[in-house]
Amino acid sequence: MTLWFLLAAVVLAAAFLKGFRKWLSSMSGAVWILVALAAMSLLGVMIGQNLPPEAYTERYGDALGGIVYRVGLGDIFTSWYFLGLAAVLAVSLLACSAGRLWKLARVGGHGRLSRAGSLLLHVALVVILAGGVVTAVFGFRYPAPIYLWEGQEMVVTEGGFTVRVDAAGTEYSSEGVVSEYYSDVTVIENGEEVRSQRIEVNHPLVHNGVGLYQHEMLPSATSVREVLFGIVMVTEEGDSPVTSVAVPFHEEYTLPGTDVSLEVLEFLADFTYDIQTRTASLASLRHRNPAVKVRVSEAGEFVADRWVFADTQAHRDDSNLPCRVFLFDYLPDFDKGITRFELSRQPGTPLLFIGFAAMSLGLMLTFWTRGTRKGDPLDES
Amino acid sequence: MALFWAAFWCYLAATLGAAVYTGTRSSGVRFVVFVVTLAGFAVNTAALVARSFASGHPPVTNLFEYLSFFAWAIVLGFLFLWRRKGLELLTVFAPTVAFAMMVMASLFPSEASRQLIPALQSYWLWIHVSLAVLAEAAFAVAFVASLMCLMGDKRGHRKLPDRKLLDMVAYRSIGIGFPLFTVGALFAGAVWAQKAWGTPWSWDPKETSSLIVWLIYAIYLHVRRTRAGSIALTSGLSVLGFLMTVFTILGSRFLGGLHSYG
Repeated sequence: MTLWFLLAAVVLAAAFLKGFRKWLSSMSGAVWILVALAAMSLLGVMIGQNLPPEAYTERYGDALGGIVYRVGLGDIFTSWYFLGLAAVLAVSLLACSAGRLWKLARVGGHGRLSRAGSLLLHVALVVILAGGVVTAVFGFRYPAPIYLWEGQEMVVTEGGFTVRVDAAGTEYSSEGVVSEYYSDVTVIENGEEVRSQRIEVNHPLVHNGVGLYQHEMLPSATSVREVLFGIVMVTEEGDSPVTSVAVPFHEEYTLPGTDVSLEVLEFLADFTYDIQTRTASLASLRHRNPAVKVRVSEAGEFVADRWVFADTQAHRDDSNLPCRVFLFDYLPDFDKGITRFELSRQPGTPLLFIGFAAMSLGLMLTFWTRGTRKGDPLDES
Repeated sequence: MALFWAAFWCYLAATLGAAVYTGTRSSGVRFVVFVVTLAGFAVNTAALVARSFASGHPPVTNLFEYLSFFAWAIVLGFLFLWRRKGLELLTVFAPTVAFAMMVMASLFPSEASRQLIPALQSYWLWIHVSLAVLAEAAFAVAFVASLMCLMGDKRGHRKLPDRKLLDMVAYRSIGIGFPLFTVGALFAGAVWAQKAWGTPWSWDPKETSSLIVWLIYAIYLHVRRTRAGSIALTSGLSVLGFLMTVFTILGSRFLGGLHSYG
């Protein structure tokens, strides 16, 4: 009984596979695969990719947002069903190409070039997909951008070298617009400096197959060029109106008409405070919660050091101070910028470009040569 | 900007002329539409050239410039068909599509900076974007032809051009646009992305939308080859392809991603 059951299952599976193989190599099979790929891609664009789970629940509600995240629609292009469909496409292309090759060999004469072009573009698509597989298996890309500043080193394990940032900065045009971000780096291999290069946007450093790509430049997270304060003088007659003053970083500035001076001692782009160690530090390199430490002196005598935050008064209850200080704004320091790199190795890229070049040539032969594609009008039926 | 607005008003006037032609079918009106469209095209050309000289880079660095260039390329595409017999009504709508693009362009900031942002400082900008614009202009021609196909009934609407002819125009236009789009938008884009971002493909919204455009036209070509699809189906796909093209152009504005330059 079991034997009969197994035999029936094998026959059914064989019939299904035969039908599936026929479908895969058919034009309608190709159309449905392309439709499914387009639909999934559209879903990927509309839903938004690689967002945190909260973003999906916020956007689509708890139930639907949870489903979107759990079934992988938030990372659809690496999901098993998308990759599976791409694999089915590759098989379909190979089956289709085999048929085309057979036809090309058998049918000669008119339209040969166009047919050859069509075959080339189908094979090229498989090469492109193969390029993607090679990169996925043998390549890597750092999931998060890398932030480094002058003097810092980073070990690139995948390339077997260390990279040191000698200088990082921003160049400006005569109009004062950013014209270039640059990082002067040195590559160190086995303790020896092997090469130095300036990395700019569109001009990466590629060493041992690993590429270091310049992205944006963040302003320094620990220094500023100038701070704009709002000042209210506290006198016995009452508070003065608010005046604004620009104080350069690390320079003592005397408030006009007074003997009170301010000096910006520290800057933290994203201030955080450790209660246990009683120390202020950076929560991140982004300018999310900027704060400056300002020293207030009067008649040359030290009065106090205070942290001042954007939109909040530094020392609300500090009646000892001769003035109230508000942080209005500041000029970011790009000269001591934090350079942002992307790091990747994409070994499938040459294959991908060969595929693209072949596909482009194939398309031109198919559509731009005299051949079988006469563009006959369709039947009305 | 004066030249842009001059082209804008020319295309608007020609669009109104096209409406009059649709009702009257007067060859005199069509000639006037042709002259005004040509004037608009000349001024549009001058606007793009002047902007290129003023800014020192090709006029493809923001949506205002892109859409102005797109309008220019669409008119160029239609001008090739202007003398083709049986397509009088199709070609007369060239300025209408161009005008729609100029209206969209006028909604975006038009400031030209001599200094390109670092990411756009590459010769690939010119190759990638200009080929994509030319391809999309070919898709626009196919779009109008396919739309007319859909508007006519099966027996052929008396007032519309012959459906088979329109279908042929759509097919030929896609046959020009599809390879150009593959080379310009996808291939050149991938080469540039590898140099700039360290990966030829990032599944960025604009990249993915371009892939969808490519897939829709690939479906169109396969469906048309099988002959199983009717003209209505292929025309529908051609219209869908162009709508997706417009979404791709404007999408980065609200979807964000690596291509959101302005």
